[in-house]
Amino acid sequence: MTTLADKISQLPLLSLIHQRDGRLTRELLQEPGGFGLGQVPSRLKPDSTTNMVCGFCSTGCGLKIHLREGEAVNLSPSTDHPVNLGMACPKGWEALSVLDSPDRAATPLLRNSRGTMEPVSWDAAMQEFVRRMKAVQAEHGPHSVAFISTGQMPTEEMALLGSLAKFGMGILHGDGNTRQCMATSVVAYKQAFGFDAPPYTYADFEESDALIFVGSNPCIAHPIMWERVMRNPHSPEIIVIDPRMTETAMCATQHLAIKPKSDQSLLYAIARILIKNNWLDQAFLDASTEGFAEFAEFVEPFDLARAVTDTGLQAEQIERLAKTIHERQRVSFWWTMGVNQSYQGVRTAQAIINLALMTGNIGRPGTGANSITGQCNAMGSRLFSNTTNLLGGHDFTNPAHRQKIAGILQIDESLIPTQNSWAYHEIMEGILSGKIRALWVICTNTAHSWINQHVAREMLDRLDFLVVQDMYHTTETAQLADMVLPAAGWGEKEGTFINSERRFGVLKKVRKAPGQALSDFNIFKLVSHYWGCDSLFDRWNAPADVFETLKECSKGTPCDFTGIEDYHAIDAQGGIQWPCPAGSGIPAQERRLFADGVFYRENGRAKFLFEAPRPMPEAPTREYPFILLTGRGSASQWHTQTRTSKSAVLRKLYPEQPFVEINPVDARAMSIRPNEWIDVASQRGQMRVMALITPAVAAGQLFIPMHYEATNRLTDAVFDPYSKQPSYKACAVRVLRLNS
Amino acid sequence: MLLNDQGIGLASAGPTLVDLFLREQQRLPAVDRFTREIDRVGLPDQSRYYSTLLPASPPGPGQQYAFEVDLDRCSGCKGCVVACHSLNGLDELETWRDVGLLIGGSELAPVMQHVTTACHHCLEPACLNACPVNAYEKDARTGIVKHLDDQCFGCQYCTLACPYDVPKYHAKKGIVRKCDMCSNRLSQREAPACVQACPHSAIAIRVVDVSRVMENAEVDDFLPGAPEPHLTLPTTTYKTNRVFPRNMLPVDYHSINAQHPHWPLIVMLVLTQLSVGAFTVGCWLDSSLDAGSAALLRPYQATCALLLGLLALGASTCHLGRPQYAFRGILGLRHSWLSREILAFGLFSGLAVPYAAVCWLSSRPSGLTVPGATTLIAALPALGMGVAGVGIAGVFCSVMIYVFTKRELWNIERTLVRFGLTTAVLGIATTWLSLMILGVVVHDPATSQLTHELTPVLARALLVASALKLAVDLTLLRHLANFRHTPLKRSALLVAGVLWRYGAVRLVAGTVGGVFIPLWILDEVSRTGSLPGGWFSIVATLIVWAGCLVGELLERYLFFAAVSAPRMPGGVRP
Repeated sequence: MTTLADKISQLPLLSLIHQRDGRLTRELLQEPGGFGLGQVPSRLKPDSTTNMVCGFCSTGCGLKIHLREGEAVNLSPSTDHPVNLGMACPKGWEALSVLDSPDRAATPLLRNSRGTMEPVSWDAAMQEFVRRMKAVQAEHGPHSVAFISTGQMPTEEMALLGSLAKFGMGILHGDGNTRQCMATSVVAYKQAFGFDAPPYTYADFEESDALIFVGSNPCIAHPIMWERVMRNPHSPEIIVIDPRMTETAMCATQHLAIKPKSDQSLLYAIARILIKNNWLDQAFLDASTEGFAEFAEFVEPFDLARAVTDTGLQAEQIERLAKTIHERQRVSFWWTMGVNQSYQGVRTAQAIINLALMTGNIGRPGTGANSITGQCNAMGSRLFSNTTNLLGGHDFTNPAHRQKIAGILQIDESLIPTQNSWAYHEIMEGILSGKIRALWVICTNTAHSWINQHVAREMLDRLDFLVVQDMYHTTETAQLADMVLPAAGWGEKEGTFINSERRFGVLKKVRKAPGQALSDFNIFKLVSHYWGCDSLFDRWNAPADVFETLKECSKGTPCDFTGIEDYHAIDAQGGIQWPCPAGSGIPAQERRLFADGVFYRENGRAKFLFEAPRPMPEAPTREYPFILLTGRGSASQWHTQTRTSKSAVLRKLYPEQPFVEINPVDARAMSIRPNEWIDVASQRGQMRVMALITPAVAAGQLFIPMHYEATNRLTDAVFDPYSKQPSYKACAVRVLRLNS
Repeated sequence: MLLNDQGIGLASAGPTLVDLFLREQQRLPAVDRFTREIDRVGLPDQSRYYSTLLPASPPGPGQQYAFEVDLDRCSGCKGCVVACHSLNGLDELETWRDVGLLIGGSELAPVMQHVTTACHHCLEPACLNACPVNAYEKDARTGIVKHLDDQCFGCQYCTLACPYDVPKYHAKKGIVRKCDMCSNRLSQREAPACVQACPHSAIAIRVVDVSRVMENAEVDDFLPGAPEPHLTLPTTTYKTNRVFPRNMLPVDYHSINAQHPHWPLIVMLVLTQLSVGAFTVGCWLDSSLDAGSAALLRPYQATCALLLGLLALGASTCHLGRPQYAFRGILGLRHSWLSREILAFGLFSGLAVPYAAVCWLSSRPSGLTVPGATTLIAALPALGMGVAGVGIAGVFCSVMIYVFTKRELWNIERTLVRFGLTTAVLGIATTWLSLMILGVVVHDPATSQLTHELTPVLARALLVASALKLAVDLTLLRHLANFRHTPLKRSALLVAGVLWRYGAVRLVAGTVGGVFIPLWILDEVSRTGSLPGGWFSIVATLIVWAGCLVGELLERYLFFAAVSAPRMPGGVRP
């Protein structure tokens, strides 16, 4: 009913003087969005919605895509998804807007004789690709071509790439950027459990009564996993082992700010206290483990005094942690890059696993020795990329495995390499020694992310042929390339990801790729066609076909997912965790491994692995007196920022200029003022950063986020001997004031 | 070769594989391939998470809605910022929420605290009180401060007035927009976007007692590093069980950046003050010169003052995002100093035009034949006083516009002295200029006599006013010695730092025009008993006027650029 006042206010003259409505007001009008959404902006009201998995980190959040005529116009987190319970971090919210960047590669590019990149047709690009790759192989042998893949592509594309490269193109050496984040956990699990098997489910975050985070800052790196911690109703002890005061450490009930790289000593000392006090789960040790006696003997020298010296902690802090582990009923151990990216990461991770094993904190709700993965499909890469493992966690050097896979793929067994591939750093070193002459980089950014960047770029420069296949033609690596192949991104293609808790999630095509960009899947199909090996992949016309094949490959392995019918089943159930063997019925939504105390090693027992801790490879010296720590900067930044820097909103949410955290004591000693621009230099390179003076970082240490291009100029190319993972987290640097 | 056979073979027989793939890439099958979600009515899915984050009942009398932030649960993920952006359909660069960071503590107990912040829906919203067009409303029932986008004419005064940097100017649209606590969602019992989206339930909507907000504002523990709450009585509650260390500071506390200079406002302020000054000096001349001399100078002087005054008013409309709605500017007369200023200067120009006309009338013997001329001419001094009086009122309104923002650099003493002395300096300089123009146009003994009589007087007055003005400006630099980073120290650091070039030119121009040349002229007069001859005099006068004008324009540039703008704690920034 309109009142007189309303009528008067609608008179044109009055609205000119006091205009309550109009074009500008209507721009922000909302209306019920339907589909359970509540109010949405009218101009973005969907005509249907669909759920899909996010494509940034390994959390694997469900996102509800708002569609108009099949095309995504907006998104919001899926309320019912078992992973994220209706929440998302800024990256997830902005997942669509990063697709619209003018930096998108929209046509194949080829470096011409003048050295500039020139658009070419797909046909020309493919002919050139094949011509040059084959020429390199003809001259320097088939193994002189290598590829570097990713943890950001759907599993099906990874499998096709790995199969095409190794079975079709005769390539032996291929690795993924997962080497930079997860290799340590893979090896640690394989050796200790017999399979690369993170045992947990996210419900464990809520069910623990003590959570121990080692080298992990989930508050910032995995904000939605942190959501689950914050929902824990058991007022848990939260213990953070990290040299820095991080957001996660702020929420800790115990923060053990250890000296960098003293975590292994600390963990052994804890083990020793547990043993001395007989705070053990003897029944579990007897039934499910091996090597404990040797381990107990090994940790004997790691007494409290030594731990205090090594870690810089108070004795009481260490004892209190051990006591907490003993007293609490459901203790879970979590680690991320602080452990993985270390020169002794595998043994450190296993030192964590050992604590879980000896206290029986595994296989029960709220427990586990749990590695939090990095990328959205690092887990898919670990099992199905055909790089380190033969498809499905198999072994290239095992004839039975080769036979099995050849049978499933219906290919000639002799096409399968009988040797293992080089790891990422061996491929890079291969370039230096002239053994690798052509490199195909897919969906990763080596020139930004590889350790000791100056040398890394020099390596890339030496290649006869560098092909970069990416969504953006502006990545640091694409700018060095001889050829850029334009790829469709997340949301523009189909497939599946596997998240940190082993959950398959479905990726859907809800956006048209720009220009002539193609899904990586179809780029690989094109390559196989032009290479002349497409008959090998006749059965793989779509990602769903590969999914079927991978199911067969997984049969009988710990990651058996033959019980997952198809993409629809995954979609309908909010993701499905492996294992899911055929005939197991509809699986429960949250499942953990090892409830029966049986592990994947041949004797069914988990193994204690240990080794004396080694000193930091590049300890501070008089000339380089600081230890540089690197890590994630904010929840709005993702790795080398090829995507997150394309969103105007995300750009507002992180410091655009590089900064360094420096302790007030050090700043005072060098008369560094707040916000002053200084240079930080290692023996390998130098970068300019703004000084952020904060006690969050200890004296003698500096912290620079890894997202800035220059950060890896400083890092030191040292690797874990078992996992070959680069040790990004600690190197020696000095600070140079600009005006002195 | 196989490759060529296949490649060419496919190319010649209909669509190639590339064509097929390119076509396939542009198809969007998700909706058809997967089960379509059913459109359903009823409560939104997310309501299961936010029902406890909304008040059980709407505000009663003496109450209003307010944000409540549980700092212990704010992890700094900034999901709220992006959710607000997405669910409100904001423009690419637009955000209505921010997350800042406080740091402090000791080596043993370092502390970091992220702080999410949006509009505080204040009891005394500075944006609302500042707005000259009544584009803000405070809802009587909910207390939500809402911006009427179509009423806004883009003057951006609210962006200066709000101590929390909440209203954001949108240059493309020519208006300001801001958080309205998702009032539409609240009216449907839905939670605001930020509340819905916080993974840790750190943001809630609560009903607060107005009286409690006022009591709390008296105590000033709103949030470390935030502008003091007594200014606008913000209603947001930041709660925590932590005890913050005393040295807790925003991480951007040491970021000192020049502010937007607002060039149209610089020109408008300086030229209106010039105009008012010239008319005021005119009044003084009216009373101190004999009638003949006064009538001689008056038309030139009034014309200079009028033309530059009108230019100022023209410049002011350039500052508006939507100048076609300039007429709305006086709607806020009851509360907005900007409306009052617009009215005063409107009246000023309305009076100044007839005044200048009558001045010309009085200077022409033929003018006396116009009917009623004698009455008009007799009323001239009074009319002149009227023009000057209204103009001075206008300048006072200008002063109050900036005083209202409660920024230190713009407090009443400083701004009054600044604007007052600009009025004096440029009023005198412009009178001098008029005198020179008169001398160039009219060659007769009376003019020459007037020039000789008046020039030393003007030179002396200008010398005093300019010296005073420069001295006052320089006093800002004494705040460099402050221990604390007070707002005035920040201003001084800017003037001595990134803005030093502007300061230096301001000093040189003001000193040459307002001090050196007048001194030289006075010296010349005292030594020779007469003014420098011919062109020397003309050029000297031009330098005086231009020097003073440039000096004052740059002074005003620094007034805007070097002000320390209050804001909520921000993120790491240079």
